[in-house]
Amino acid sequence: MERASGWLRYGFVAPALALLIAFNFFPLAYNVVLGFSDAELVGREWSAVGAKNYAHLFAEPEFAQAVRRTALFVCLAVSIELALGFAVALALHRRFRGRDALLTALLVPMMLSPAVMGLCWNLILDGNYGILNQVLASVGLPEPQWTTDRDFKFASILLIDVWMWTPFMLLIALAALNAIPGTLYEAAEVDRAGRWTVFRRITLPLCAPLLGLAALLRTTDALKQFDLVMSVTGANDARTQTVSTLLYQVVFREHHVGLGSAFACLVLVLVTAVATVFTRYLERLRRRPA
Amino acid sequence: MRLVRLLVLGTYALFALLPLLWMGLSSLKSRADTISPSPRVVPVLAEGTAPDSLAFPATLSAYGELAHAHAGAEQSFWEHLGHSAIIGLVSTLASVVLGTLAAYGFSRFRIAGAKDWLFFVLSTRFMPPLAVVVPILLLYRRFDLQGTHVGLILLYTVFNLSLAVWLMKGFVDEIPRAYEEAALVDGYSRLHAFARIIVPEARTGMAVTAVFCLISAWNEYGFAMTLNGNGAVTVPAYFAGLQGNIQGMPWPQIAAGALLFVAPIACFSVLVRGHLLRGVTFGTIKQ
Repeated sequence: MERASGWLRYGFVAPALALLIAFNFFPLAYNVVLGFSDAELVGREWSAVGAKNYAHLFAEPEFAQAVRRTALFVCLAVSIELALGFAVALALHRRFRGRDALLTALLVPMMLSPAVMGLCWNLILDGNYGILNQVLASVGLPEPQWTTDRDFKFASILLIDVWMWTPFMLLIALAALNAIPGTLYEAAEVDRAGRWTVFRRITLPLCAPLLGLAALLRTTDALKQFDLVMSVTGANDARTQTVSTLLYQVVFREHHVGLGSAFACLVLVLVTAVATVFTRYLERLRRRPA
Repeated sequence: MRLVRLLVLGTYALFALLPLLWMGLSSLKSRADTISPSPRVVPVLAEGTAPDSLAFPATLSAYGELAHAHAGAEQSFWEHLGHSAIIGLVSTLASVVLGTLAAYGFSRFRIAGAKDWLFFVLSTRFMPPLAVVVPILLLYRRFDLQGTHVGLILLYTVFNLSLAVWLMKGFVDEIPRAYEEAALVDGYSRLHAFARIIVPEARTGMAVTAVFCLISAWNEYGFAMTLNGNGAVTVPAYFAGLQGNIQGMPWPQIAAGALLFVAPIACFSVLVRGHLLRGVTFGTIKQ
């Protein structure tokens, strides 16, 4: 580390940090102010209304409902993607011809635009002209209305999310598997350990730290779920309402900026809590000898 | 065990790749064939096919249609793709430049509170766009930035800085300090050494970082639809905006446009496949 160069060193980091501070603290502070106001999306006049918006948030069940549904979505999406990604990684771990090409192809979905791909999934899931139901019909199975039936639409969004993000878990799980020294498996073989014992005592514990990182990264991302819901059911659907789509509904459809900002403040507190857990975990992970 | 492995891989590969194949097939259909009640799976080069046949006449007309504005829209797909390209490329360039400078600063100097700053930088990534967009919208209204290229470029640049700083810090950390020290001893100034030694050495890292910044700017939807609903509409916001269209969804054009829209990203992800892991984990896992 150098002591010389004086203020120049701050010159390197200052532009980036200044932009980040401006674009993060300004919205946070302004959200807090707006949250105590009756501001509307149209018209510039607004006045302070005290904690009225917050009272409304706790009185109306739809807000708590959206938080619960987002939490449910995150839990289900992250655990299904983790389990599936890990399973595929185990199947893909051993080398074979064409493995790298297959892996590259399998990773493509996570790079694509969720809003656009969510829209295209309607061509598969639509109850009438979707290919999924046409295939189900041809083998005599029932044909649910995947995107409009109240019992199925949440699961449909979950399915698209699993399609998009399992590759992410697969990628990290493979890295974790590759990092396990082969000598451990050889030692286990000498000890005549069974397959299940090897998996439970060697593979799983050694993969755990990276899988934890993957799960946390996905969690912070899934909390923002907005694009897929918008492309499958839209913002005003009680069965699929997430925190982000409810914010959209309140602010941009109903024009209640004050109420939306108050809700945004509560959401940001929750997100900050998750982010703190994440950064702590990352710090601990980095301190371990690699 | 071998059988189980094959089964898992085969099933998953179908699940992952068939939707992409279906998108490709749909882009070759007429609108009637995309919403036909019986499955249309096999493209054939014929004028017409029987109503209940699995085959459908393949046509490239959807790709041609992309040049025309769809009913209710003002601009054609290509113009929206242009907006996406301008916003994506300029913001990527800005993020990589600012990110590399900051990464160099954090990598080489003793910065007060460096660790806290870095975690602050990372945590900005976790903000849900919809929770911060209202103040930004009000600000942009005042400065006439709503519906402009500049507005989204600025926002995406900041949004991607977290990724750029963290990824580039990993890459700069790997460049031996001795290189620039030699240059400094030779009388280079600090800035000169940065430009002549670090930038060329960090080329690969900058390219990888650029690809990941471009991908997230290219795909972004929340800010794009709320801030640029009118004017400089990017492709994701344009396509999503077609929902509820009075003439029904132009499915073949959507499939064709989506394919053209995601193709560059798919190519880029193949190009950086050796660095994918780093990219998606903010450089915390290196391989």
